[in-house]
Amino acid sequence: MATSIQSTRLDFDNIKNSLKTYFAQQSEFTDYDFEASGLSNILDVLAYNTHYNALTANFALNESFLNTAQLRSSIISHAATLGYEPRSVTTSSTSVSLSLNLAGVSGRPSVITLPAFTEFTSKVGDNTFSFRTLIDYLATDDGTGLYKFLNEEGTEGIPLYEGQKYTKTFYVGEVGERQLYVIPDDTMDTSTATVKVYDTVSSSAFTTYSRLSEAISITSESTLYQIAEAPNGFYELNFGDGVSFGRAPPTGGKITVEYLSTSGTDANGAFLFTPASNISVAGGAYTLAVSTLASSNGGAPKQSIESIRANAPIAFAAQQRLVTAEDYKAIILKRFSAVTDCAAWGGEDNIPANYGNTYVSLVFADGYTEAQKQVVKDNIRNNLTNNLSVISIDTVFSDPVTTYLQLSTTFNFNPALTGTTVKATENSVSNTTKTYFETNLKKFGGTFRRSNLLAEIDNISPAILNSATEIKLQQRFVPTLNVSTSYELVYPVRLAAADDVNVIVETSTFIFNNRICSIKNKLNTTTLQIVNSGAGIEVDNIGSYDPQTGIVSLTGFNPTSITAGVNYLKVTAIPANSSTIVPLRNYILDFDEEPSFANGIVDRQTQTAALSTASSSSSGSSSSGSSGSSGSSY
Amino acid sequence: MATKSFSYEDGNLNASTIIGERSKKYIDIDLSFAARPDKDIYKKSDAAAVKQAVKNLLLTGRNEKPFLQNFGGDLGNVLFELVDEDAEDELEIVIENALDLYEPRAKLLYLDVKLLPDRNQIACKIIFRIVNTQEQVTLDTTLSRVR
Repeated sequence: MATSIQSTRLDFDNIKNSLKTYFAQQSEFTDYDFEASGLSNILDVLAYNTHYNALTANFALNESFLNTAQLRSSIISHAATLGYEPRSVTTSSTSVSLSLNLAGVSGRPSVITLPAFTEFTSKVGDNTFSFRTLIDYLATDDGTGLYKFLNEEGTEGIPLYEGQKYTKTFYVGEVGERQLYVIPDDTMDTSTATVKVYDTVSSSAFTTYSRLSEAISITSESTLYQIAEAPNGFYELNFGDGVSFGRAPPTGGKITVEYLSTSGTDANGAFLFTPASNISVAGGAYTLAVSTLASSNGGAPKQSIESIRANAPIAFAAQQRLVTAEDYKAIILKRFSAVTDCAAWGGEDNIPANYGNTYVSLVFADGYTEAQKQVVKDNIRNNLTNNLSVISIDTVFSDPVTTYLQLSTTFNFNPALTGTTVKATENSVSNTTKTYFETNLKKFGGTFRRSNLLAEIDNISPAILNSATEIKLQQRFVPTLNVSTSYELVYPVRLAAADDVNVIVETSTFIFNNRICSIKNKLNTTTLQIVNSGAGIEVDNIGSYDPQTGIVSLTGFNPTSITAGVNYLKVTAIPANSSTIVPLRNYILDFDEEPSFANGIVDRQTQTAALSTASSSSSGSSSSGSSGSSGSSY
Repeated sequence: MATKSFSYEDGNLNASTIIGERSKKYIDIDLSFAARPDKDIYKKSDAAAVKQAVKNLLLTGRNEKPFLQNFGGDLGNVLFELVDEDAEDELEIVIENALDLYEPRAKLLYLDVKLLPDRNQIACKIIFRIVNTQEQVTLDTTLSRVR
């Protein structure tokens, strides 16, 4: 029996019912139960007031914690207390080769400058986007009148960034008054901002300030600025006060901020770039020749609130220092939108061990060329790891290694329990398997758990009675044809020990000695042999595999060609434990659809006993004329 | 007749007897909130309480009561509607439904709604019986626009 009002119930009806329960115990008023009564109206007011306050308190409390906040402004605020700056909209960028041909032009200069913010246009679908340079680039006459613009590293790739250029000018007030300079633009890419501070309004000399989050050391003389997202989605510029994080802009001075306001993701995929205007040289206007080295990519929206929620605590734990593997992951993912996934591990955990190094493996967004990937890696090494990592620890980049899984799935299928066919269900099983890989794997640390996949398969339809799947791991390598070469393939897990029934390691086919051959391990041994399609042994010992380390070694392998119309060989191996495949370090698990299959076995569940099929059928025929006991003979 | 009792686990009602019938007195707050000499407010009971509830029901507008948007006779809003030949019948149906749904204590005996467009008024006469006491109550109400 309720003796007090249950104040923790937030729902209006619950609150009102609690009040009614209270009145039910009193004899003073009895009309609480009739909606039209005066008492009910008063209860409405009381309940609504409580409901409203309870909800407000609940929302306010939810917004008070990073884990439960729903509003972006709240999450930004919590992230700020952890010193985390969420990523702004990121501009899409590309790399182009720019040249100017002035052959035959008299009085041409020896050096031509391409000014910062030179504009180019490009289309993605029906939309036109503006791309531009951010700094000046120089080109030198090669003697024939051809000028090729070179980047800071002396190579041809000139980066172009999508967006409209804006300049905001602020005037500095009294030093004692802490000023926040508001940039009312929620599509600003903060990484493109250039902040210049002038001592006076009319001065032409300026000091370029750099971003606080990228500072290596801070003194009272550091020229740093902080840019942070405000609760309304705009950005606020903040400077030190001469003590806290560097020099304060001088009173009466001027601050200019130049930045790109960008379309983010929409501008990805642009390929043809046209200069918006000609270059003026020696009294004439000439058109830049543009050759695209890579289509535009890297454009991204503002960091999502879920991403901020996940990364802010990790970044706080990293404290702008690269010490643990998680530190590398947090800071690289935060700073480089080109990197979609990152794994890091110490050299002591590497195979082979390499002390004094940290290994980093990166997955890039689609569309990045090898040259662009190298630029990102150089940036990480020069601007990040060299400054923030522990002294004497070097960074080594290791490309992700994809290990493919081949799945042979079988399931028992009772057509009576569904309206679909076995074939359709086999397709559903294949699709579920693909979805499982897309959702859970194809990323660093994505672990394959067979029982989880089978549970999803069993849930496809009640007609699937049970399921099973056999797993094979597959590594791929490109062999050098017609040259005797040794290879070593490392699997992420231990391999099955050799036995006298199953071939543990097997390759796809290739031509060797003018015959179609493959490599298999000799039964009961770890020795690998080249076997032709007629089961004849071509080479008795071409290498071996080590079940414990998961290493397959080929020695002096010299194929003539590969048969499957591809340039690589697939090497499949049965793992020691098929239930769980845990990819360590830079391994990523993927699904090889081609050899995988799903096979349904029709099982109508009519067989009541399978102990003695012959005797039961004979007993059935003999008793057909008698007084029905065909089932009782079991 | 033997008395029945519940176990302690079923609600500790072992001392209570099962009551087959009970005459319940209706007691409500007087919504005029007039002060009694002892500084308390007045109560309304029985027919007066139900009469107040019926009046309250008819004058409550749609969406006025929280989380019960269909509650009310919505008479106040009808004053601002255009009057046609079916308006009185429609209004009677609304009132009948409202009483039927939300005032189980009143059994409707007679209902007459008169729209007086020339005077911007609705005259409403309702006769109902209090279910508990069989008492017959007549409610006459006239609504008019003040502007």
